[in-house]
Amino acid sequence: MTVKVEKIEGGIPHTTIMIAGLVASVILLYLTYANIAVGTEYFAFFGGLATVAALIWGSHTIKVLCSYGIGTGVPSAGMIAFGSGVIAMLFATKYGIAAPIVAIVLAAIIGAIIGFVANNVLNMRIPVMIQSLTEMAIIGAVILMGYAAMMTGSFELTSLITGKVSILGLSLPSYQASFIGGGLIAVVFMLGAIAIQHPFNACLGPSWTQDRMLMLAAECGFLSMITAAVMSMAIVSMGAALVSLLVAIIGWYYTYTKYIELSYRDAASWVDSKPIPETEGQ
Amino acid sequence: MESIVFGIGITALAGALATVAGAAENTESDIGSQGDPNSQVQLAPQMGYLHRIFNKAIAGEPPAWGLWIALGAGIAWAFMAMQINPILAIVLGAALATFVQGVYATTAYLGRIASLAKFGQPVFIDILKSMTTVTMAHAFVAIFAAVTVCHLMNAALGHPFPLPLLGLVWGIALGAAGSATGNPFYGKERQYQNQKYGAGVPIAASGNIVRYAEAGERNSLDNGWFSARLGGPASGVCFGLIVFLELWRTVLFEQIGAGWGAIIIGIIIILVFTVIDRYIEVWARKNFGAYVKPTEEAS
Repeated sequence: MTVKVEKIEGGIPHTTIMIAGLVASVILLYLTYANIAVGTEYFAFFGGLATVAALIWGSHTIKVLCSYGIGTGVPSAGMIAFGSGVIAMLFATKYGIAAPIVAIVLAAIIGAIIGFVANNVLNMRIPVMIQSLTEMAIIGAVILMGYAAMMTGSFELTSLITGKVSILGLSLPSYQASFIGGGLIAVVFMLGAIAIQHPFNACLGPSWTQDRMLMLAAECGFLSMITAAVMSMAIVSMGAALVSLLVAIIGWYYTYTKYIELSYRDAASWVDSKPIPETEGQ
Repeated sequence: MESIVFGIGITALAGALATVAGAAENTESDIGSQGDPNSQVQLAPQMGYLHRIFNKAIAGEPPAWGLWIALGAGIAWAFMAMQINPILAIVLGAALATFVQGVYATTAYLGRIASLAKFGQPVFIDILKSMTTVTMAHAFVAIFAAVTVCHLMNAALGHPFPLPLLGLVWGIALGAAGSATGNPFYGKERQYQNQKYGAGVPIAASGNIVRYAEAGERNSLDNGWFSARLGGPASGVCFGLIVFLELWRTVLFEQIGAGWGAIIIGIIIILVFTVIDRYIEVWARKNFGAYVKPTEEAS
């Protein structure tokens, strides 16, 4: 049994963040379905917002899991989330409108199996391991599906494997220019995996505060959304990509300035071009 | 024959670009104290050693560089799919990836230092301003060179992987090369200069990194200057050799035995390097002497 070394004091309880993150990301994922209902691509940005909601939830799950003294394991927690989530996400895209629900159920099963193996076969014996890895797999699947919906306009397999190539003004369907065929799924895998581990990895320490870390999680989410919006220009229409880009830039600017304010609030002191302060006993 | 000569030319060019990328990558991560020396920089204020070292912890080097290169390659791929000139597309991809790297660096520094408030470590705004821009400049050079290597493999040598996937694979390789080759030089030779040769880092000396320079207080630009002379080029040679030998064996020997020729040559290269490494290790031990015990005065 590993001893819990850090405690979450005050702030929002983890269960609340988990339920809010799950509900918000599923609703936002389904809002991208408005694209198919109305026959447009302008609602793709809801996929990006779904990733931000899931990232906030995910960064707090990592905090809960890593408070058991897994210091260097923080980045690997992000990798395992996406490694297990990508299987569920790709499989679920075959199920049309049910895809987000299928992805969540399947990811939960995969995550629970990985958690069971980690705890009982590898003997890690961390009490929250099975629950956390189940959450992480769901988060990984939801984030990948969010990026897929944002960059292609839909979360169905056919739109993920067909892109458009225009030759001399003619628009031809092409696997090479698609989300999966072009390898963009590798980029969003890393975008999400680094963004999910960064908030806790950057904010860990004795003076950790919850609101600062969650604000950083939202900032990482919007920053990743900016780059995803730029890459989506190759797949969705330019207008839809620009809407996503605008939403992402506004969200990023707000969360980044907020995060700097919160760091200013929490820091011991905030100085410019000053020498190292003298400490007692030196 | 002509295609082999063309392939060798591309191989040489990719190797040269990879050398530049490796050198820039290592200097970037040393200025940011990323990689394994980071643990001591993070620990120092907790042991009472407040410092003016830049502490940007964004995962380990391999995952972080996997993202920067994959992102640069992904954006370049998207612009190329929109019929934009490859050179312009790669520059734009590298510029956007560098922007992301810079934002991550500032949030990492602010987050880490704010969470050390209990020990009185201040946030130095001049450190944040001057170090972030220098790491971004090095990151741009490394991302541009590495994405160009991936594009050469894809477009000139006909590699079947799409550009972003190549970016992910070679980004992780670049981070691993810089982490394995350059970090010992920065962590052990620079941050622990005040320890006896071979003393390691005993618990009493944990966090006792070098904080004062020859004159005044040391910051991470001094560390960048120091590691750019030997640690950076060593990482560059490491990554350049990896890219060069990998492409060289594929271009020359892939036709032999339905691809098995390249695999056999790869195994032979590993064996040759194992012998060379062992020889260097024995030679260094003989010439520089055995490890010594740490002395009390060091702490």
